[in-house]
Amino acid sequence: MSEEKKEGPGAATATAPKETPIIEVDGHVGHTLEPDYKRLPIGPDHILYPVVVGLALFPILMGDAGHHLADDMPDEDTHPFFPDHFWPYPIIAIVMLIAVGLLSAYVQKNLQLEPSADPRAVTIPRPDWYFLFLFQFLKLGNEFVFSIGIGTVVIILLLIFPFLDSALGPRVAKRLGWKKWPVPGRNIITGSIFVGSLVIIALLELWALAGPQFCVPWFVNSPVCGA
Amino acid sequence: MAIPHPREIQLAVVNWLDERYPFTKAVDEALYQRVPNFANAFYYCFGGMVFILIVFQLLTGILLALYYVPDASGNPAPAYTSVNFIQNSVYLGWLIRGVHFWGANLLIIMVLLHMARVYWTGSYRAPRELNWIVGVTMLFLILALALTGYLLPWDTKAYFATEVTIKITAGVPIAPVATLIKELLQGGPVVGPPTLQRFFTLHVFVLPALIVLFMYVHFRFIRAHGIAQPM
Repeated sequence: MSEEKKEGPGAATATAPKETPIIEVDGHVGHTLEPDYKRLPIGPDHILYPVVVGLALFPILMGDAGHHLADDMPDEDTHPFFPDHFWPYPIIAIVMLIAVGLLSAYVQKNLQLEPSADPRAVTIPRPDWYFLFLFQFLKLGNEFVFSIGIGTVVIILLLIFPFLDSALGPRVAKRLGWKKWPVPGRNIITGSIFVGSLVIIALLELWALAGPQFCVPWFVNSPVCGA
Repeated sequence: MAIPHPREIQLAVVNWLDERYPFTKAVDEALYQRVPNFANAFYYCFGGMVFILIVFQLLTGILLALYYVPDASGNPAPAYTSVNFIQNSVYLGWLIRGVHFWGANLLIIMVLLHMARVYWTGSYRAPRELNWIVGVTMLFLILALALTGYLLPWDTKAYFATEVTIKITAGVPIAPVATLIKELLQGGPVVGPPTLQRFFTLHVFVLPALIVLFMYVHFRFIRAHGIAQPM
């Protein structure tokens, strides 16, 4: 192999030492970095190097990488972050920007202002879609129990779910005679809870969307109408 | 004296940095870190999409703040007229406001999809429980941003929706606590100019700062633990 001096953009990468450094974290020896010949020829002398540095700053600022799963996987089961893993994101960003731009241009209904706020006006508000199911849910019983009571319980359950899953899950699995406690995607109990919650939210949302003319007899506050 | 080529200047800067800090090594390690192939699945992009949308929201929010006047006194209030001005008179104001509005809707969808993916694949399991808590907190922060942002146009819909929200939040049966919550949110006996001032402060200063802080913690955890394998 000749060690001739190269010039022009990317020369710094092209003439870099052939031995690639190894990522070492807490004494763990992981993968070798992507060999030079596989990298994009964007070395320290390339006009695009500041862009690359800008990208790298993000993980650098996020602190040292720990021992990752990829460190223990064969090379063929992994790929480098840049550009292989990174490239879809700029495209996604542009697609999303175009999507919201088109929505802004063509779906003006929700963007148009109503008359200026006037406390004397009589209006029955209808919340945005993400609070609509909650709005409907509150009509189903005592306002305090259904808003503060159940709301607080759901929030706490959501926050501590990983601990509940790891503490209670194996016990339930043992009682059911299962070998292990699978993740919700493969677990009839936690999976059904998830799907069931989605169904309830969807039904409440549809109920609210059906409008104030759509009323259903209910145990409390009967009948309950849409929003 | 010959003017140096920009490439030589750049190289000199990089060399200068390298002498003081392993700059190129850090950049290389950050860029060429290995990522498991399973992370290429489309549903692993939801988290990145949330990040991109939060950046959109911050940028468009800054642009909107250039024209928005958080003053609800009078009828029509300056808050209302400023939003009307952004929507109808400012160059591309309608687009910036539209991107902010629809971006917020898309953001909530993406956060929910991301959470559903994390739940479904068991990515919340040890050692990532704390990151789950950070993520759930961010969901509530985003919903709080949506809620506080709703009042800012100061139109009839925003006014009455906020009135209902405050009524529900202050629905605690203990009277002093209910009064305190109502007073804190409203800043007076009814929804009025102090309420807008408070919601504006929360929407523009407090909640975005918290979101950025929590995002930083979220990413630090991801960097420390790596991408979770679907189990």
